[in-house]
Amino acid sequence: MVRVFLALPMAFLLILIGFPVLYNVLMSFQDVTLMTLPQFMRPWIGISNYTTLLGEKVTYEVLANTFVFVGGNVVFQIAIGLSLALFFELSFPGAKFMRGLFLVAWMLPPLVIGSVWKWLFATESGAINAILGSNMNWLSDPSTALWAVTTANIWFGTPFSMILLSAAVSNVPKELLEAASLDGAGPIRRFIYITLPAISASLLAVVSLTIIYSMRAFDVIWAMTKGGPVDSSTILPLFSYRLSFDEFKFGGGAAAANFAFIIVFIVALIYVRSIKHEKIL
Amino acid sequence: MRTFGTFTGYRSLILFAIGITLVSIYLFPVYWMVISALKTSTEIFVRPPTFVPEAPTLENFLWIAEQPKLLTFLANSFIIATFTTIITLILGSIGAYAMARWRSWVVDAALVLVLVMQAFPEALLATPLFLLFKQVDLLNTYTGVILATSTKTLTLALVVLRPMFAQVPKELEEAAFVDGCNSFQSFIQIVLPIMLPGLLVIGALCFILAYGQFVYPLSLTTRADLHPATVGLYGFVGAEYADWHRVMAYATIVVSPVVVLFLLLQRRIVGGLTAGALK
Repeated sequence: MVRVFLALPMAFLLILIGFPVLYNVLMSFQDVTLMTLPQFMRPWIGISNYTTLLGEKVTYEVLANTFVFVGGNVVFQIAIGLSLALFFELSFPGAKFMRGLFLVAWMLPPLVIGSVWKWLFATESGAINAILGSNMNWLSDPSTALWAVTTANIWFGTPFSMILLSAAVSNVPKELLEAASLDGAGPIRRFIYITLPAISASLLAVVSLTIIYSMRAFDVIWAMTKGGPVDSSTILPLFSYRLSFDEFKFGGGAAAANFAFIIVFIVALIYVRSIKHEKIL
Repeated sequence: MRTFGTFTGYRSLILFAIGITLVSIYLFPVYWMVISALKTSTEIFVRPPTFVPEAPTLENFLWIAEQPKLLTFLANSFIIATFTTIITLILGSIGAYAMARWRSWVVDAALVLVLVMQAFPEALLATPLFLLFKQVDLLNTYTGVILATSTKTLTLALVVLRPMFAQVPKELEEAAFVDGCNSFQSFIQIVLPIMLPGLLVIGALCFILAYGQFVYPLSLTTRADLHPATVGLYGFVGAEYADWHRVMAYATIVVSPVVVLFLLLQRRIVGGLTAGALK
């Protein structure tokens, strides 16, 4: 019976996730336009969807954006998340409750988060311009749009990194920290020589999850800029979606999706290895 | 709840104050959303903006209550999230139970597959799902959106529920077998009741995620009467000159069930997520 119990959800996921992934691979080698879309067998065109994509300047811009966006998220979500995790690990009244409150941000629908941040970044009467005393067109200026959407997503993702890192930090042996303290090691040296090595496995898992979740940031970016102005805040998944649903270049969209799939797949394998072999927690 | 202990000395008082400050700064966007919703149409565009509404008003909320379209979007969110949660809990609990009880390479392979599939962004799966659902006439149906959304919640549920099912003592089931139960009966009568509190928490988490889903309803439905509140809100924000006081009022209404559900179950959700992601 356990076999049936396992088979049912797996069949469900393979039909609704596995099949689409394979279908994407298939489509990326076909000429799929609005005309050929309803046909069962569409003309095969080899790798020309890929070569077309690689021949366009915008593709490289999108790849660079993806790198900046994901990299920015990894660096800041981990740095801020780890600092907060270490702070709320100190024992004081309400520490756990306050730490939990951060997670409210992670629970909100990402589309709502994007909408609120669009309003925070508004030129006229926006809170950020008011606080900074500036008068920037954050979201309609191609040089700042990517940074604005990255900031919003860092805000959204940090609580999750913090919660996972809190679990890791709380498992660092207290005796070791106390012994080091008695030997005269200050907080910075204790962090570098004891805490950091002890949480390294969890850190790798959290870095991979942060990359995976940043690639999913579609809603936040879509609500704030829709990837614009002129692709300046477009990352790979948005690029793929726009090619298919806005420009009806389904083959190109599938090829772009496969670039993203490869990235996510590799990171997912690193994640799986890090939690399987390192016995985290 | 033992969350607030006693203060011992100045150190904990100072830490407490820093903690409150950090939370306040962090949650400022949420505060900004709510106070913007309470502003009048003239105050919303005052420069520089006011950080405390001068004349708080509920008229934006009343305006929304009179828009049947916006209310339909909210109802759709509840319909989609409810059915997604039901499907996820049924498939998730049997799958996680099997993964916890059956020792085989098949289970290991399935778990790795689930973890990898969990990583794929919805935006990449939207096009092939659109074409698949076109073939089987599931475009512009609740069913299509619910099935697609369930894939996201089911992968999460399997990962989080597996360690929870593993903690149910085997001896209880063995006793049931002696009493003549078959394995299906023991699952229903013994295991599920023990798991009920955990299943409710994961159900709440899946509900929250499904309720916030945007990409699938956006790409798999074109009929506005099927759109959930996220897509409705996007239509609102996308307008060239957004009525930000009304947009924020709608956003506040949309997030309130999520915030209530989360605050009720905060500690258990945090525990479940950590165990699922790192074990």
